[in-house]
Order: sequence, then C-alpha cells, then structure tokens
Amino acid sequence: MKKRMKKIITFILAGAMIVSLAGCGGGGADKPQEIKKDFYYVPENRKLDINSNYIEGVVAKDDQIYMYGNSWDEKSGISVGTLYCYDLVNDTIKEIPFKTDDNSSVYKMLLNKAGNLMMILQRYEEVISEEKMIDVEASEESDEIVYAQEAAGEGVVAETTIGGDDLYTESVEFNHYIELIEVSTADGSVMNSVDITAVFGNNQDFYPQYVATDANENIYISDGNSCIYVIDAGGNKLAEITLDDWVDGMFSSKEGDIYIKMWGAEGEEIRPLDLNSKKIGNAISAKGLLERSNHYNQRYYEGMESSLLVSDSTGLFTYDFTTDVANDMFDWLDVDINSDDVSEAGQMSDGRYWALLHDYMGDEAEYYIAIMKKTPASEVVIKEELVYGTIWTSQEIRKNIIDFNKTSDKYRITVKEYQTDDYTSGIAQFNNDLASGNCPDIINLSNLDFARYASKGVFEDLYPYMEKDGIQKEDYVENVLTAYEMSGKLYGIIPQFYIHSAAVKSSIAGDRTGWTVKEMLEVAKESGIENIFQYGSRMSVFYYCIYNNMDEYIDWETGECFFNGEDFINVLEFAAQFPEEPDYSDEESISSKIHENKVLLLETSVSSVQEYQMMSGMFGEEITFIGYPNSEGKGNLIQPTNECIAIAAKSEKKEAAWEFVKGFMSDEYQDGLVSEHANWGFPLKKSALEKQFEMDMTPSYYEDMDGKQVESPKTSWGYDDFQIDIYAAKKEEVDAVRKVIASAERTATSINEELATIITEETDAYFKGQKSAKETADIIQNRIQIYVNENS
Amino acid sequence: MKTDTAIYIKRTKKKRRRQFVKVLIATMIAAIFATLFLMPIILTITNSFMSASEISANYGQVFATTDTGGKTFIAERVNLKFIPDMVSFSQYITVLLKSPDYLFKFWNSVILVVPIVAFQIFVAAGASYGFTRCQGRIKEMIFFIYIILMLMPYQVTLVPNYLVSDWLHILDTRWAIWLPGIFSPFAVFLLTKYMRRIPTAMIEAAQIDGAGEWQIFKSICMPLCKSAITSIAILIFIDYWNMVEQPLILMSDVEMHPLSVFLSKINEGEVGLAFAVATIYMVPPLLIFLYGEDYLVEGITYQGGIKG
Amino acid sequence: MCSFKRKNLNKHKGGKRVKTTVSKQGKRGKVISWGFLSPSLLGVLLFFVLPFFVVIYYSMVDNPINNQFVFFENFVRVFNNMAFKQAAYNTFRFSLVAVPLAVLLSLLLAMMLDSKIPFRSQFRTFFLSPMMVPIASVVLIWQVLFHYNGIVNDALSILGTGKTDWLKSAHAQIVIVILFLWKNLGYNMILFMAALSSIPKDILDVAVLESASARQIFWHIKVRYISSTILFVTIMSLINSFKVFREIYLLTGNYPYDTIYMMQHFMNNAFTQLDYQKLSAAAIMMSIVMVIIIGILFLVENYFGKDMEE
Repeated sequence: MKKRMKKIITFILAGAMIVSLAGCGGGGADKPQEIKKDFYYVPENRKLDINSNYIEGVVAKDDQIYMYGNSWDEKSGISVGTLYCYDLVNDTIKEIPFKTDDNSSVYKMLLNKAGNLMMILQRYEEVISEEKMIDVEASEESDEIVYAQEAAGEGVVAETTIGGDDLYTESVEFNHYIELIEVSTADGSVMNSVDITAVFGNNQDFYPQYVATDANENIYISDGNSCIYVIDAGGNKLAEITLDDWVDGMFSSKEGDIYIKMWGAEGEEIRPLDLNSKKIGNAISAKGLLERSNHYNQRYYEGMESSLLVSDSTGLFTYDFTTDVANDMFDWLDVDINSDDVSEAGQMSDGRYWALLHDYMGDEAEYYIAIMKKTPASEVVIKEELVYGTIWTSQEIRKNIIDFNKTSDKYRITVKEYQTDDYTSGIAQFNNDLASGNCPDIINLSNLDFARYASKGVFEDLYPYMEKDGIQKEDYVENVLTAYEMSGKLYGIIPQFYIHSAAVKSSIAGDRTGWTVKEMLEVAKESGIENIFQYGSRMSVFYYCIYNNMDEYIDWETGECFFNGEDFINVLEFAAQFPEEPDYSDEESISSKIHENKVLLLETSVSSVQEYQMMSGMFGEEITFIGYPNSEGKGNLIQPTNECIAIAAKSEKKEAAWEFVKGFMSDEYQDGLVSEHANWGFPLKKSALEKQFEMDMTPSYYEDMDGKQVESPKTSWGYDDFQIDIYAAKKEEVDAVRKVIASAERTATSINEELATIITEETDAYFKGQKSAKETADIIQNRIQIYVNENS
Repeated sequence: MKTDTAIYIKRTKKKRRRQFVKVLIATMIAAIFATLFLMPIILTITNSFMSASEISANYGQVFATTDTGGKTFIAERVNLKFIPDMVSFSQYITVLLKSPDYLFKFWNSVILVVPIVAFQIFVAAGASYGFTRCQGRIKEMIFFIYIILMLMPYQVTLVPNYLVSDWLHILDTRWAIWLPGIFSPFAVFLLTKYMRRIPTAMIEAAQIDGAGEWQIFKSICMPLCKSAITSIAILIFIDYWNMVEQPLILMSDVEMHPLSVFLSKINEGEVGLAFAVATIYMVPPLLIFLYGEDYLVEGITYQGGIKG
Repeated sequence: MCSFKRKNLNKHKGGKRVKTTVSKQGKRGKVISWGFLSPSLLGVLLFFVLPFFVVIYYSMVDNPINNQFVFFENFVRVFNNMAFKQAAYNTFRFSLVAVPLAVLLSLLLAMMLDSKIPFRSQFRTFFLSPMMVPIASVVLIWQVLFHYNGIVNDALSILGTGKTDWLKSAHAQIVIVILFLWKNLGYNMILFMAALSSIPKDILDVAVLESASARQIFWHIKVRYISSTILFVTIMSLINSFKVFREIYLLTGNYPYDTIYMMQHFMNNAFTQLDYQKLSAAAIMMSIVMVIIIGILFLVENYFGKDMEE
C-alpha cells in the first residue's frame, strides 16, 4: 500500500513537472513583447455639455453618472451648484432639480441601494446676535445646537457697528453643521435629512476626505487624518475608530468590505476595517495591489467581476482580494488619455469603461467623457507600433506622445518603461533588449551612460534627417544641440534645457569664467571661507572637485590613471577639512553666509532669466557662474529639463521615429515653451529663446491711483529667507544669461557609476580617518586602473 | 634469548611512547585546524545574539553604512567578540517577526533550490542509466563533454545561459534558474560513475530472466543507487543553496531573489540583522550535513576519479 | 579507479558469454538506453551546448548591437588587453599557490585522521563543515577579520607588525588563498582518506614486518597507491580555484584590488557592460585551456591506470 502511494506521488510529481514545463512554454508566449494582442480598447471621446467649472462628488450606478458641479457666477460672486445626471449609454445629460441653499455645499455623495443619493452637506448658518441673544437661543433650542456651536468654534468675527447713538458690540458667528440628506435621483427632492454634526464631536476642521459604504449601507467617513467615523443610513453614529497613522485611502470592495490604505512598518499597507470589533485589522497580503502603490493618483472603485477597479497614473486595472491578482485593463496612454486628466473612472454594465476627463489645457477647463470599448483586433485599424524606451516618463513627453498618436494615422507610440525597483536592473533590462534586438525605436537618453552606448552604435545620426527636412543646425542653440554629438554625428536632441552650475561672487572669482581644481583650491584658501557650500560635507566638496574633472585623472587614450598623483591627494586632503556630517542645525541663511564670505559657492541651476535675476539679487553683487572645476576651465553643464530623445540605429521605423523627434524641433513646439513664468528651462531653438528673452525684458504695468502707468513686478522669487520681486530684465542680465548658456558644452553625465562606487567606497575609509590620503589614493588608482584597462 | 625479548619489549615500549607522542602532536594539529575551521561559523552564530546597536558599535568601521538614527557610538577599532556583551534575541525577533522580507527571501531560496535538486536527480537517474547501458564510443564522447561542461566556471556559460533564457522567454522568471539547474551535468556525472560499478553480471542475469530495460532500471539500478542518490542530492543542494551569480543575472526582480543574494548585499543595509540572517541561512545545510554526513562523505568518495 | 578496471573485465567476460542470446535484445537495449539518456541530452544541448555556438558567433562580431563580423579581431584585442592579461596572470598565480597547498594540507589532514588519533569522526565533521556553509553567510565575518582595523591586524600588532590592509593590498591573495583552503580542504581530505583506506592492509603489514621505515612506507607504498587520487585532487582543486570568484566577488565587488582581479571578474564586467564579444572571446580562450587541462588529466589517468594494472 505504502509503496503504491509512493509510486502515485512520484507519477504525480513527474506529471506536474511535464505540465508545468509545457505551461512554461505557453507562459513565455504571453510576454507582451511583439505579441499581437487579440483585442484593443478603443476610446470614444464626448464633450460634456455643462456650465460648471468644477465637478465633485461623482458617483455612478447603472450607467448613470451623478455629479455635482459648481460654477462661479462672476456677477453675483456666488458659487452655484448643479446636480447632473449623465447617461453613459445614450450620451445625454440632464440637470436634476436639486438646489441647496446658498450657505450649503456638498462635500461628498454616495448612492444607496434604493438608487438615491446620500449627500454629506456642510451648512453654514450665520448667527448675528448680542451675547444675550445667544443665551436665549441656547436655552430655547435643544442641546444639539449648543453642541454645534461648540463644534463651529472659530468662525467668530467681532464686528463693530454704529447704530444710532449707541455703540455696541455684535458678534457674527458661523455655525457649521454637517448634514446627511437623501436625495431622489428622479426629481431631486430631499427625502430625508439628518443633522450629523454631533458625530464628529469636537473635530473642528472636519472635512470628509474619504467616504465609503459597506454592504449594510453604513457610511464610513474619514477625515484623512487618523479618525474614521461610522454612521448608519439613518445618521446614527455607530463607531469612531482612531488610528496611529494617517489614512491614505479608504474604499469599499464589491463584496461590501471596507479597506483602509495607510503607511505601516513595511511601507504602504491595506487593512480591512471591521465594524463589529470597531477596529481595523492587521495588514493583509495584497501584493498585487501594493506592487503598484508607487503609481500615484490611485483611485479605488467597487469592481464588477472582481473586488476593485483601480485607476492610477499608468492605467486601469482590476484587483481581486481572494486571489490577490491584479489584471491590467489598459494603459491610459494606449487609449490616448493623459493620466493627469483623469478625474474619475468606472465600468459600464456592458463591460465598457468610462473616464471623466478634466482638460486643463485651455483657459476654460473642460470636461470630457471617454468611453473605452474592448474591440477585437480584427475590427481595429492597427497602426504600426513605435516603442519609446525610457527609465521614467515625464508628463511633457506623455502629452506629446498622445498628440502624436492622435494625429498620426500610421503609427502609434507605446511607452516601455525600464523602471524597476532599482536603477541597475532597469538598465540590465534595457541592455538585454539591445542585445536581443528588441531595441526601442525611440530612446530617452537622459539617465543613460550616453558615451558607452553611442560607441557601440546604438543611436542613429540625426544630421542627415535634419538636412533632408531642411532643418538648419544654425537655428538652434548650437552648443546645446551638439551636446550629444560624437565624432561629427548627432545622437540626441534636448528640446528644453537648463544649465547646471555653481555660482560664486565675481569679486572672488576675478575675471575667470571657469577654474581648474588647483585654482579653485587656491581661491578657497585665500578667501578664508568656512565652507564651500552651505551644508558642505567632505563628500559633497570632494565630488564637487572631481565631478566634472575625471579626465584629468584618466587618460583614456593611453589607458593611464593619475589618481595617486599629487593633484588628487590635494583634493582629498582639501575635502577632509570639512565636516563629515554637515551641521544642519546651523540656521543662518545662505544669503547672509554669502554676504559674509562664509560660504564660497552656491550650487544652482540657471533655467530662466528670472532665476538669474533672483541669484544676482541674493548675492547682492556681480556673480560668476563658474561651475565645476575642470582642466579646461569649462565647468557649466547642460541638463535636459525633461528628456533627451534619440533614435535607435537598429529601428526599422526610423522615418516615423524622426517624425516624432522632429516635432520637438518645430517652431510650434519650441514657441510653446516660451512662457511668462519661469519654465524650468530654455527652448532649444534660437528664435524661441529670443522670444523668451524678449518676454523677460518686457515690463508689465499697472495703473496707479493717478492713472499713471507704474511698472509692476512680474512675479516674485524666494530662496531660503531671501525674497525678491522680479521686474523686467535688463539687457545686461539677459546677456549674462546668454553667456552662461554659451559657456556650457557638456552634459552632466560624466561620472561613470562603477568609478563613483570605487571612489566613494575608498574615500569613505579616508574620511573616516582609517587611512592616509596617500594610501587611499593608491588604492583608488589600483582599482580604477583595472576599470580603465578593461575598457581600453 | 632473554635479552632479545627485553630489547624487543624495550623497543616496543619506546615505539609506543613515540607513537603516543606522534598521536598527541597529530591530535593537537588537528585541534588547531579544527578551531580555525570552525571559528568563522561559530563567530557568525554568536554574533547573531548581539543587539543591533552592539553590532554597529563593534563593526561600524567595517561597514560603510551604519544604521540610521542619529549618532551611534562606533568604536575606534573593530571589536570581535566571541560572546556578546548581552545575549539578545532582538536580531531574531526582528528577522522572524517584524520584517517578513527575510523569511520571504528564505522561502525564495527553498523554492529555487528544492525543484532543482529533485528534478536534476530525476533527469540524471535516466541519463546515467543511459550512459551505463550499452556503452560505446559516441557515449564516451558525450560523457566527456558532460564532464567539461560540469567543470567550466559559471562565467563561461553565462552568456549562453542568458541568451537561451531570453529566447525561451523565461528571463526574469524562476524557470531561468530551474531549467539550467535541472539539466546540469553534475548529477549525471556522479550517478553514472556509481552505476558503472554495478556488476554487469547482475543486469545481464536479469536480462536473461526476461526483465525489460525499464524493469532493470526500476528494480535493480535504482534500489542499488539509493545511498548514492542521497549523497548527490546533498551535494546539489549545497551547490545551489550557495548560488549568487545566477539570480543576479537572470532575474531582475529583486522580490524573487534568494536569501544568498540578499545576504551578499546586506552590508549595504541592515548590518545589525546580518548575522541572524546569515545564521538562519546556514541552518538547513548544516542540519542536512549533521544528518547526512556519512552519505555526503560517501558521495565525495565516488568522485574519486574524473573518468568513469 | 580499481573498480573501473574490474568493470571492464566484467564486461569482457560477460559479453562473450551471453553474446549469442542477447544480441537481438542488445540492439533494442541500445535504443532504449538512448531513450533514457534523451531528456538530459536535450536539456544539455539546449542549455549548454547549442548556446556555445552563439558564444562563438559573438566572439567574432564587433558588438552585440551592431553584429559586424570581425573574425578573430576580438581574440587579438582581448589577448592584448591589459586587464585580461592581469586577470589571466592572477588566476594562474592563484592556482599555482593555492592548488599545491590544498593538496599538501589536505593530505596532511587525511594522514592525521588516518593515524589513530581520538575524536576522528568529530574532526572529520569539523573539517568538512566549511564546505556546507553558504559563502554569503560567512562573508561578513571574513570582512571583520581582515578589515584594516580588523582582528587579524589587531592580533598581528601584538607581534609588533604594522597594519596591513589585507583585502586592498598586495596581500589580498593571501586572504583569498586562506578562504579557498578553508572551504576546500575538507573535501580533498575526504578523497584522500578514502584512498588511504583502500590501500591493502597486507601490503602495509608486510612492509612493517620487513621493518621498512615510516618514510619508506609513505613514499613507496602510500604515495604510489594514492597517486591517482593525488592527481584527481590536484585537478579538482585547480577547477575549484577557477571558481573562487564568487568568494572574491562577495568580499570585494566588481573591481577589487588588482592582485585578486580574476578571469571571471573580467568576464562578469564585460557582461554588465554589454561587451559580449570580449566576454565570449575570453570564455572561448578559457574553455580551450580547460579542455587541455582535462584532456591531460585523462591521458595521465589512463597511463597511471595501466601502470597500476600491471
């Protein structure tokens, strides 16, 4: 018997292995790469015809979306609320004749089982009274009101009125009530109304951040801090649950359970809420859900087939608590939606998904409804796919990709993010794709070791494309355009850039525009400063010295290193003078430290003329953007504001990829970067840059009481404790910015990660006082020599 | 005659004394070696009973990153202690109860190693039988290739491994570790060597009795190889329990990494817990060793020659 | 090794005896034996052999992205690469020091346990235990021991020697050799113990009766009898000495001090830097060396095997 059992088990095991092996083969095919999907979600956009500027309290049931819109009436100065019902199937919108009085506003809405709206309202009541009157009122009314007054608390305004001959004080109080009302969705009539102010006790700043209902129609209200109130449908308080930490989210599942999202010992946690014990339970294992908790903008809805429907910054997915499985429905990008615009989402009874979109682009915010229908691949015009590979995706590029996808009828761009838990594994994945020929068509160069990939021929030269399309190199800020040039070939384009630099007083720097380490060390010694930076540590000073200067210690041509030379040892010894840990308790502001010559440098960016104006205001005298020490004395570095775009040499759709890249070089795009306010970067095209400068130099005026035009500040900037109003820039200021821009030649990715690791490891021992500078330098020399040998 | 015996007795006495001195010296040398051999293991275990603060005070010099949380005292020198100042189970409490991450990684190790051990033996049993029966020139050649593959350093097979995993779309899944592990020639080599010692006469006798190959394999070979299989399983287990390079290269998802990889990176993080985690990780192989030492020794003994 | 011969003899005898009766079955048996072999064979082909041709391919292109054929240029470049030379030199030097030490010390240990000392089995357990311990578990202690301000320096300072940065100086190889011995001596020792115990008792007894000296017994009988094991242990230690990379890597990372920069460092780093062509060229060169070493072993063992048989 035993033997037979054994046999059976062996066979089962063997069988399991074969099955799982087979399964693996099938599983492999499921990988998204290159595999054609069976179906696609096809979006359909509808404009919402409403007058309201802002929509809140959106709830949906049976393909009806109920939403409460507010519109600001300029003439009366009152905000008017309207309740809408939108029919998803028939694309019709109707107003439900429900009106709140002027002092009421809708906080949140829910739907009950009967299909009526449960609204949590806030109502202000102005109480104008003499002290006495309050007393009278208080004694007359029930004690509920007294309670409410306590709750209302601070809305007391003392007002002095002159009435006749008498002068008496009258106080105006805002009594602040919270009500739960039931509104019929059919005709907007209020069917029920309960004052629930008392539920929240003394919680004076109460605002219902999250609301949810469970299977028994109890209502859970969280203030977003650490308190959750539970009431039943009749407004009776059932429980008040206090937590140790802030609530980051509260939602109900399809099963009617309530869950809380909050921070715990292991990061974000999901914990169930149990009404019977009036407690929240222990964190449940919800890996499928938490895995994506790094995506921001998460919203949870009750699912139709699974527990939850979740919308986040990337896409829409369903999640089931019992299986702990998350299923991706679609990426917002795939349905041409910018995830920033999504304000609510849901599923219709026929399986389609909808999203309420808020388009911030124009002056007038507009609302759209997008309906996503699952369509078999055979019925969809499948466009050719262009893959955009990147470590991270900025909103700027997202917007451009959506625009491209909407306009191009032949291609659509999909984003492939090499973003995992750590940087190295993302890079490893990218390398793998390169080696196996799955290279993305368009590549975001920022955060990549450009030189290494370029030397392997990963990128396509863009000059021939520019030439063919008549794009003149001279029309662009040349030193920035050529930042990613290598032996006469252009491999990447930075549509928008800023300059990374370090600022020093010109009186200290003299007539230098840059410096070598030697010069810098001399200046630092002579000027008698306390520190190089405000909170400069040994490491930060050390890295400032070598960051842009590795070429001085490594000769790639001959494969020699000079880390054990005197220069490097000097740097080490210099850096060691500074504190190991900066003293952050020192609160003297940077501006005063600079004025008193306690601090030599301010590491900064130059991303707009306004920023320059602020800097020069803060220094109070002429400044030099001297940047990082460098053997050639060229210390300023070019940084892309968002991304730097390249085309893969192995791509089969280079022309299409170029169409996308070209868009960033167009007048339309470049002029769009010109902005009244600082835009975190300069446009690449000279004409656009000039427009920007012109705008910076154009003063703005206001009319004073005498009708005279007086120049008004365009904006104001602050740094630490320093505040400055920015007026129109002078020509000299703009010229100074021009000079800074022109001085930069390289991008800021000069230190290789491997080298940085070696240097940090070894210098750490030196800065801890374990070894002498010479010993440290010798070891660094020894280890880096291997690296250099390997790569020469 | 009398003197002769006296001399003989004297001689043997002298010999015995010399023998005794010899044994004493040998024992002492062995004892010294044994202490040196055991020290790192014992130190790891004793250090696991230190509190995190004691560790960072003692070894702060060694590990670049000290635990965060304000200024901690770091001794000028590294203090290695056999016995902690205060026996504390705080490391274990944290590892076992407070941060399930470590247990999770431990579980990863188990998931990765156990199937490899089981199925490598499974595949190898068949293969060794194949190599043992009906030997010929071609099989000898193949066996030679197996030996070469077995002896190659991992880095030589790194790119092939990686590329195949990529082709099969198993990169970043556990299969990328499992499959090459299951088909590793190591167990085939050892088991073949053992099986070839089974007297051919036994098999031929069975053949004459009308037994099929499958029956011979199942009823004669396998029962005879029981102890060999146990010892080989132990050897495979140690080898894969110790793996570091494969997961680092073949699985980019840190969540799936075994504890060995995690441990190798631990001095970048929570050094205070490292010793407890290291000790926990040592427990399974040490337990197996204690229970299966004789098998293991036997297994090593079969390896006594490269050629079959 | 003795068994190897015995088996051969058996085969000859048996083969003759049953030839006529099993010839038919033999053919079928042959096919079936291949069937037994096939799963493993397929796996090995797929995961180890076929991909090796890809390695050959990669060794002849300029890089894995461009895939331009350059024939043997990579071999020339790798061979002239300073880092490769350094790695080859270090690997060679390490083996040259560590392997003889491993053989001698393990033989010494085996002989000690073979003489009648007390607690033999306990000692055997102790010596074997490092082999069982996952290296990642003891790396920490190893770092503590050999750190600049570590215990070994503390101990040595009592003797009045200056501080040495063990892992980051020319002495680094010593640490690695010690670590290597620590991990491998037990294994070798077991092999030697088996060999020593297989020496026929009567030969030793005869030698004692003929009042041969201990030295004579050792050199003329024991060493002769275990010579093939010595060879095997040498080769295994050599192979294992190529595998010491994992230990070095865990102790010191991708770019250690140059005296412990091994062949596998070179390959590993080439892999992470997407220089498959370098890695492949180096791997092929290393494989050739390995095949030569193993081939020599085969020849030598065959030779010795015959020698013993006579």
